[in-house]
Amino acid sequence: MNALDISSITFCYDGATVNALQNFSLTVADGSMHALLGPNGAGKTTLMRIITGHLRNYLGDVSIYGGKIPDQDTLRSIGYAPQPISLYTTLTAMENLKFFGTMAGLKEREIKDRSEKVLEETELSSYALKYVNTYSGGMLRRLNLAVALLHSPKLLLLDEPTVGVDPQSRHHIYETLSKLNTEGMTVLLCTHIMDEAQRLCSKVTLVDKGTTIFNGNMNEICDLEKLFLEKTGRGLRDE
Amino acid sequence: MIFRQLKELIIKEMLLLLRDRQTILLLFLMPVALILFLSLAMEGVWTDKLTGRKIQLVVENKSNSPKANLLAEKTKSSKMIQNVDRPMGMDNDQIFADGKAHAIVTIPKGFDEGDKPVEIYFDPVIDAGYKIAARSLITGLTVEVVMGIENLDAVVASLVVEKTKPNKELPTPLQQNVPAYAIFAMFFIAIPMSIGFLKEKKDGTLQRLFTYPVNTNLVVLGKIMPYYLINIFQFILMMLVGVYIMSHIISFSFHLGEHPWHMLPVTLVVAAATTGFGVLIAALAKTPEQSSTLAATGAILMGVFGGIMMPHVLMPVLMKKLAMISPMYWAHQAYLDIFLRDAVFGTILPKLIVLALFSGICFYIAGRRIKWM
Repeated sequence: MNALDISSITFCYDGATVNALQNFSLTVADGSMHALLGPNGAGKTTLMRIITGHLRNYLGDVSIYGGKIPDQDTLRSIGYAPQPISLYTTLTAMENLKFFGTMAGLKEREIKDRSEKVLEETELSSYALKYVNTYSGGMLRRLNLAVALLHSPKLLLLDEPTVGVDPQSRHHIYETLSKLNTEGMTVLLCTHIMDEAQRLCSKVTLVDKGTTIFNGNMNEICDLEKLFLEKTGRGLRDE
Repeated sequence: MIFRQLKELIIKEMLLLLRDRQTILLLFLMPVALILFLSLAMEGVWTDKLTGRKIQLVVENKSNSPKANLLAEKTKSSKMIQNVDRPMGMDNDQIFADGKAHAIVTIPKGFDEGDKPVEIYFDPVIDAGYKIAARSLITGLTVEVVMGIENLDAVVASLVVEKTKPNKELPTPLQQNVPAYAIFAMFFIAIPMSIGFLKEKKDGTLQRLFTYPVNTNLVVLGKIMPYYLINIFQFILMMLVGVYIMSHIISFSFHLGEHPWHMLPVTLVVAAATTGFGVLIAALAKTPEQSSTLAATGAILMGVFGGIMMPHVLMPVLMKKLAMISPMYWAHQAYLDIFLRDAVFGTILPKLIVLALFSGICFYIAGRRIKWM
């Protein structure tokens, strides 16, 4: 069974004249790490919001391990780390994890055990009781990821997980992802960092103007950035 | 699982709120300060209105004749008078400028002979009511002395009888200010409530929350309940401040009325109105800055119109009618029914229905307008 099956999705925002996604399809195999690349405004975040159930009035079909959103088990199978740091900054890391863990339906004992595990994985154990607003940019990103991992999702959705972090934190985040993927977690990675995507992911989908412009195996691509620019053009995307 | 989620949503909201010092100051310290300082400021005016403050009077007897002495003695012993000795080296203008006395009565030489009248000098800024009362007193006492009447009031009592009803409309400063600023602060809950919601929307935590198997209605309840509970706590705190602290600071005590348990349904409905207002602001505003301006302006305007800043009973007729557009008016009147008028529940109920309608309309509009993401 595929982790994610998206078939022929079309979506348009209220008042917009152009579709944000047009007849878009994507398949992510179970256990793979799949890169979703595209210039700004290509439709990547819209796609993430459709997969996570935030946008619903679309045409087409989305299936996660055979389930549909907003089915509770399907929602539980997803872990989502959004691009903005979506944490309560006046709570501690532990309080954030307890909150999101309860929302995910974990029991108190599970929350405690899993919190310790994910904080360890993201090397934040010694900061567990510190308020999040005292964290550095890299620590915030790692905690953002830790929250997404807390309920042991089968499919991890990451939207620009390393924006604004130093190379050390970025390296640590990618090492963590690589380890989780080796352990069996499926990862859909949205990023602009081509070399990391090429190094970590086995499959790649290029999206532009709401449609798929390339879909293939990473090992067949020599230079991902060159391919990206060839397919999407060198013109600036300021609109 | 639903109860655990609701509990956690409430705990999260409470922690966010209680760790925001500015919000705590706004919700708890502001109303206490307003109750304290405005009650102190109003104390003098209210004393005059309710009990008639004693007139501070300098009596100068330049005659020392038997009638003059009797008039001076009667004046000084009047219950309306607080006798003041003329301060050394001060003329009348200085005495008034320094607030040493409200009026000066001079009994001149030749008073007994009827050659010269008693002279009264008033502080030029004295309240007109005081002036009339003081002049009437001195006139009456002078008539008694000159005409040889023992007690003019006793004579007049057989001709004129006062039938005024006990006052049930003019609240004391504490009866006015304690519920008034408790309500005012309760409506200010709209500021943290709407800002919190819009911040969560902006930083993506709300969006993230909806990636979990959590019901939207539960999230709504988890957002409203903490503020509802805080509203009730605010009211209890203000009552405690009124009864146990303010009563010792200013010269009016704060009575809870004959039916204090009526406070419970009134407070529950008022809190529903205030949280409804908060949800409405959250739905209408696009940014946290916008929501704080909207909520503060709305609350202040409702306070001005609703008899919070100035007692409704003292407003001109047009303003009294306009007050009815403010939910704060209905809330305040409901509390005054309890504290001032000892009203039965049937009298309070229509006010609660108006507040419940206001709350319902706010929630309805918010439900139609709110965008969760």
